[in-house]
Amino acid sequence: MSFRYPVVMPKMSMTMETGELIDYHVKVGDRVSSGDVLFEVMTDKIDMEVESPADGVVEQLIGEVGATVDIGKPVLILLTDTEVMAFDFGGEPAQLPPAPAIVEALPVIEAVVAVPQISVPEVTAPVAVAPVIVSHTYKAVPKARVAAAETGIDLRTIVPTGPDRTIMYSDVINRHPTEEQLKRQAANRALIARGIEMTQNIPQASFTRSVTVSDSGLPHLMSAWARVLRSRPELNVSGKDGSLNPQVGVATIIESKYGSALPVYKDPDLLDMKTLSELVSTTSTAARHGKVPLAMLSGATTTVFDLRSYQMTSTTPRLFPHQVTALTIGESSGGAIAVSLTIDLRYCDFYDGAGALDLLVKTL
Amino acid sequence: MSTDNRMLTMAEALREAMGIAMDERPEVFILGEDIGIYGGAFGVTGDLYHRFSPERVIDTPISELGIVGAAVGAALSGMRPIVEIQFSDFTAQAMDQIANQAAKIHFMLGGALHVPLVLRTPQGSGTGAAAQHSQNLETWFANVPGLKVVVPSNPADAKGLLLSAIDDPNPVIFLEHKLLYKIPGRDPVPEGAIRIPLGVSKVVREGKDLTLVATGIMVNKSFEVAEKLAAEGISITLIDPRTISPLDMNPIFESVEKTGRLLVVQEGPSHGGFINEVIARVSESSSFGSLIAPIKRLAGMNIPIPYAPQLEKAAVPQIEDIEVAARELVKSWR
Amino acid sequence: MTVERLLMGHPLSSPDHARHALLYMYRIRKFEEAVEDLFGRGMMHGTMHLSIGQEAGPTGMCLALKLEDQITSTHRGHGHCIAKGADLTRMMAELLGKEIGYCGGRGGSMHIADAETGNLGANGVVGGGIPIAVGAALASKLQKKGTVAVSFFGDGAMNEGAFHEAANLAAIWKLPVILFCENNKYGMSSSTETAFAIDRLADRGLGYGIPGVTVDGNDVVAVYEACEAAVARARNGEGPTLIETVTYRWKGHSRSDKNLYRTKEEIEEWKHLDPIPNFISKVLAAGILNQEEIDAIAKMAQDQIIEAVNNAAQAKSAVPDGLLEAVFKAVSA
Repeated sequence: MSFRYPVVMPKMSMTMETGELIDYHVKVGDRVSSGDVLFEVMTDKIDMEVESPADGVVEQLIGEVGATVDIGKPVLILLTDTEVMAFDFGGEPAQLPPAPAIVEALPVIEAVVAVPQISVPEVTAPVAVAPVIVSHTYKAVPKARVAAAETGIDLRTIVPTGPDRTIMYSDVINRHPTEEQLKRQAANRALIARGIEMTQNIPQASFTRSVTVSDSGLPHLMSAWARVLRSRPELNVSGKDGSLNPQVGVATIIESKYGSALPVYKDPDLLDMKTLSELVSTTSTAARHGKVPLAMLSGATTTVFDLRSYQMTSTTPRLFPHQVTALTIGESSGGAIAVSLTIDLRYCDFYDGAGALDLLVKTL
Repeated sequence: MSTDNRMLTMAEALREAMGIAMDERPEVFILGEDIGIYGGAFGVTGDLYHRFSPERVIDTPISELGIVGAAVGAALSGMRPIVEIQFSDFTAQAMDQIANQAAKIHFMLGGALHVPLVLRTPQGSGTGAAAQHSQNLETWFANVPGLKVVVPSNPADAKGLLLSAIDDPNPVIFLEHKLLYKIPGRDPVPEGAIRIPLGVSKVVREGKDLTLVATGIMVNKSFEVAEKLAAEGISITLIDPRTISPLDMNPIFESVEKTGRLLVVQEGPSHGGFINEVIARVSESSSFGSLIAPIKRLAGMNIPIPYAPQLEKAAVPQIEDIEVAARELVKSWR
Repeated sequence: MTVERLLMGHPLSSPDHARHALLYMYRIRKFEEAVEDLFGRGMMHGTMHLSIGQEAGPTGMCLALKLEDQITSTHRGHGHCIAKGADLTRMMAELLGKEIGYCGGRGGSMHIADAETGNLGANGVVGGGIPIAVGAALASKLQKKGTVAVSFFGDGAMNEGAFHEAANLAAIWKLPVILFCENNKYGMSSSTETAFAIDRLADRGLGYGIPGVTVDGNDVVAVYEACEAAVARARNGEGPTLIETVTYRWKGHSRSDKNLYRTKEEIEEWKHLDPIPNFISKVLAAGILNQEEIDAIAKMAQDQIIEAVNNAAQAKSAVPDGLLEAVFKAVSA
């Protein structure tokens, strides 16, 4: 009595799905013993000899040499002298195509039952609990975004007063300015407008340069500009009477809840950079809350207007009263900054302005 | 309950808990290095060797892998071992038994067996013992599913939590800050077998301006800061999770929703630290929408703990750091 | 679940004992062959480590053990599990990822445990089970239970720190534990010749004050006799014994093994030392069983394995529901 046993492409590793039939070591009709090599297969650069599981005779060679065979598919049929265990659950084994007809026809062991399908759990994408985002451009704390979304407020209309120009929750809650805020804003605006009015008819000229600097922070730029003015006293004169100013006073423009605030830094180029940076940081934060120390409210001899946080390149340059220079710093392409200088032509010549800007660029 | 004002040290409280558990259950025993006549490297087992017997307070050779493995085997066989590892740093020697065996047996074996094991070990810096005796390792263990991780911050909690840990049918890693051993807590330690369930965060004090989550010794430092800042009008909710794993986030969510500000503090290095899990869970939750300030964390530097006292101090958060961070969060963000 | 009570005693002491020893060796052999077939056909997942050729060790050891005695096993652990009396269907079901499997599909081939037969589990980490067996023996001693713990491990594990720490603790505490080394010549591809500077691995016991015995691991009778003595020693409170059984695994370390590190001749040589015919010849010589009875036992073992495969295949596949809840044992109120 003999038994037909299909010798299959063996699974040789956890990840193997197919193997290449390299060669048969036997031919039809050969008598083989248990352990004799029947054929050779290769996968993932590993080749392996497949041995006969029992004594018997080779009945049929099924595969084609060089062909790729799925694991579990028969490669050779052996007529064995003794019964060899072989399992084929009839159904589709995991990740395998259906067994070929030839296997179904084989009178192997009566172990033919259905393989229950492995149920793959349906994976539900996790639902992210994210706050409603009104704008990507403006920084705002989560609760400010939630509050804005709930009340239909456009965050772009909110003046940020938090660190790094972040809209805080209180900014949203207090977005409707108070009576006092409105009054102070109006007074501020009138003051600035009157000043600009005074300088409107002054003959002015503007120059712009694009420059790449290693440190583009406001303190560094402010300090460099003060140094230029110190070396060019003719540009640090009073716009009232042309008298020399005893010090360099750099005004900056800060947006606050009471309108524009203009703190003045006196002789910033004489401070070391760490001290100046700290001073600018604390002063700016205080100014955003409408608080500027008394000592920093006067004495400006020039103005530096940093437009970069508004992603602007430049604005119409204007001189403030009694100042003969004004500098605006804007964004430029490729990480560079745009530096624009406006001068009062009553006290300076064109080449004074061009030279000062050139010196500033060199200083930077 | 004769006295309600017993001010014990954490070492005394832990010893009391072990004594109670050994009186209650014959299957509880302790094994570890120098825990017998010596009384433990930090004196935690103290006189238990004399109160019980050498069979129940077993002195072992210096053999961390062997004794943790033996504890796992005993736990699988009806015992409730408490292993003391002299310094948490040495758990590295026993990590196969902790992480691959004890932690996984219940799950991996389909629930057929379980490992009621407590591994007690001191951790933390501040003793000048340098890099191999000073680590905070709760994150190692919290990252292994199957381990419960307890980090007590005071004697009363330590006692109640240890009693629950011994009762627990699962492996529990109990990490004790060595600077806390010798100091009494703020609260008295209740007498008797008062248990504190694992997986319940404790609200140490309540406030409305800031939620401060801290673990282990950082709870004590944070408490001092909270008291000090109260005088400045800054009111702080301080939460001690007590159990790192499982982690009870509910009081943290509730508090963040009230205060809108979150500061988390741990002594261990920040990279991959436990506090990041707290932050991640807040970020994933609806409490995120309540934040009115960026979340701030304070943790150890990402360096081995150095030796010299000034270097060691610089490596982990100090009271002043917590104070500055708390004040800054509340003052700058409204 | 029916647990087949283990029979204890010398394999040649009665026809029942001989039948039992033979049936268990055949069960292990046929179980492994079935696993190989299922894996080869892509019907089994993961990897597997077959113990064909090593059947005499666990069979001989477990003939000396009571049901309540405990064992820890290895990655090549199907034989230990069967010899200790595990249910074949639940074992096969585990390998096929079924709910009724010993671990509910969560452990697989390398992590089968069976609390009812004192099997504390196979282990995926080489040497991982040795300290655990020592701990089980410590518990037995503390609880005065009188049970013995056996740690099965391979030659490779003897170079792990876990072996050394566990052996020392077992010795100083005189624990009722048997350190059962299945020296099958190779730790994956490294031979004992390259991994050890001693010939007899049992000599390692000397350094710990543990008697070391080396026996023919393919002779179930020799294994039983050594184990029986070690168990008696353990139960008498005389402490641990290190038993080295010299045997051989016919198959590769795992399926991806190409056998590059050993010769065909060597494998052939060892196949001639097959533990099953080895025992059959002894049984026939002693006239305890006749050839017909022996054939019937082989057939019975094969039928039992086929039945186990069929029952397991029909069982419900494990599902991911409740995995999170399965990590910890629930704390009772």
